[in-house]
Amino acid sequence: MFSTFDIKHPDYVALIEPDNAFWALVEKNSAINDKFVNAYKNKAEKFSDEMQKLRFGLALNAVYINPTSRCNLNCVYCYIPQEMRKHGDDMSRDALFEALEKLSGYFKQVMPENRLPQIIFHGAEPLLVKEVIFPAIEKFQDRFRFGVQTNGVLLDDEAIEFLTVNGVGIGLSLDAPIKQIADKTRKTWGGDSVFENTIKTIHKLKGYDGYNVITTVTKENMHCLCDMIDFFHELEIPAVMLNMVRCTLPGAREVKPDDYEVAQHFIKALDRTHELYKKTGRKIVVANFANILVSIMAPMARRLMCDISPCGGGRVFFALAPDGGMFPCSEFIGLPDFKGGNLFRDDINTVLQSESFKKVTDRKIEDIKPCDKCAIRHFCGAPCPAEAYEMNGGMNKIGAFCEFYEEQVRYAFRLIADNIVEDYLWSEWDKDTVTLFEASALNRL
Amino acid sequence: MKNQNQKQTQKPKIISIRKSCSADGTGLSHYILMDKKAKK
Repeated sequence: MFSTFDIKHPDYVALIEPDNAFWALVEKNSAINDKFVNAYKNKAEKFSDEMQKLRFGLALNAVYINPTSRCNLNCVYCYIPQEMRKHGDDMSRDALFEALEKLSGYFKQVMPENRLPQIIFHGAEPLLVKEVIFPAIEKFQDRFRFGVQTNGVLLDDEAIEFLTVNGVGIGLSLDAPIKQIADKTRKTWGGDSVFENTIKTIHKLKGYDGYNVITTVTKENMHCLCDMIDFFHELEIPAVMLNMVRCTLPGAREVKPDDYEVAQHFIKALDRTHELYKKTGRKIVVANFANILVSIMAPMARRLMCDISPCGGGRVFFALAPDGGMFPCSEFIGLPDFKGGNLFRDDINTVLQSESFKKVTDRKIEDIKPCDKCAIRHFCGAPCPAEAYEMNGGMNKIGAFCEFYEEQVRYAFRLIADNIVEDYLWSEWDKDTVTLFEASALNRL
Repeated sequence: MKNQNQKQTQKPKIISIRKSCSADGTGLSHYILMDKKAKK
């Protein structure tokens, strides 16, 4: 029933039921008793049901819209092909309005009335067409929650004013606390730095709750993740992501860090967030790690849908190209085989069931070796299908960072063992949850 | 009293917890989704 998973903790080892993601940390000289096993068995079906719902029963609730294929930067690891970013198309204002009308009608059918679907303007660089997206945000703000992921170069005072007044989520990208390293991966087509510009923008956004910063972790910057955390904390950024570079396209693979080595740097950075919290009383949440922690404590409460299988691509969200092309995720926009249809011409449900989408939505961890035997398969999900397909040769191959996920999950369990989980999570992360199982409630074990 | 305090600080032999809620995860790794609509 349970698989043993060594979490590298002095006192505890993890027992995990991989199929329903139930787990227990057991003192090394102890064993689970009948009372515990029976209590688990009473709830096992419920655990399985919720994993089934999470993995196969969710409805579409977000769309990532690329309003342009163009970008003013030429980052080495971008998942959009260079030619597309240089000479690609823009979506017109009328086309974007038409798209949002159609999506609004669709979401009314599939989402509960008390929840708003999310639209994230993504890229390429969406602010290259801010004259298209800002009117759309104004017109549709009662029907969607909006976000913008931007490199920040065009985020001038006027744009900041518009986005913050309208409560639009803003994601920025910064790869290092010093220019020399940041410039190795993120620069203009002419090779110019955008580092100073990004820092200025971060200062301007200070105090705005709805912004955050993504760092793409590569072999160029993995050595400075702790400095990055210091830097972000000093700038009072509430939440960051330290994302491993997605190795979908060859350019990204050139800067891929070593799997195990990057895990060690990542864990040191997490340690640093804790030191800073204890020292200052102010948290800095590494959201991609926090999501792993949440997926262990409360699988249904996860926010990010990359590290669960099937991933969220093509079922919880999809990506929309400027010409209306629909792809399971932004990561697939450069891969024509994954175009499932066109929003302006096709029925959304038909596209969600298309062969192109089903290649992604049918990708189950049970069909991937060695993940099918892995104890932590539902805390990892073998992301990402795009990189498995392009880098490792097929949808049923592992992703690029197997050891990183193992180390990350071990670390998460160690925090649970040491009872310091809350120090790494956003406040009220479990506000809407109920406790289904708690060993400490089973009287004396 | 001393025994009671010692008991309280003792680490449990088994730690296991599972919370649940309705699922509404929406994000992918290219963008952080905030829980609440941001307002300045």
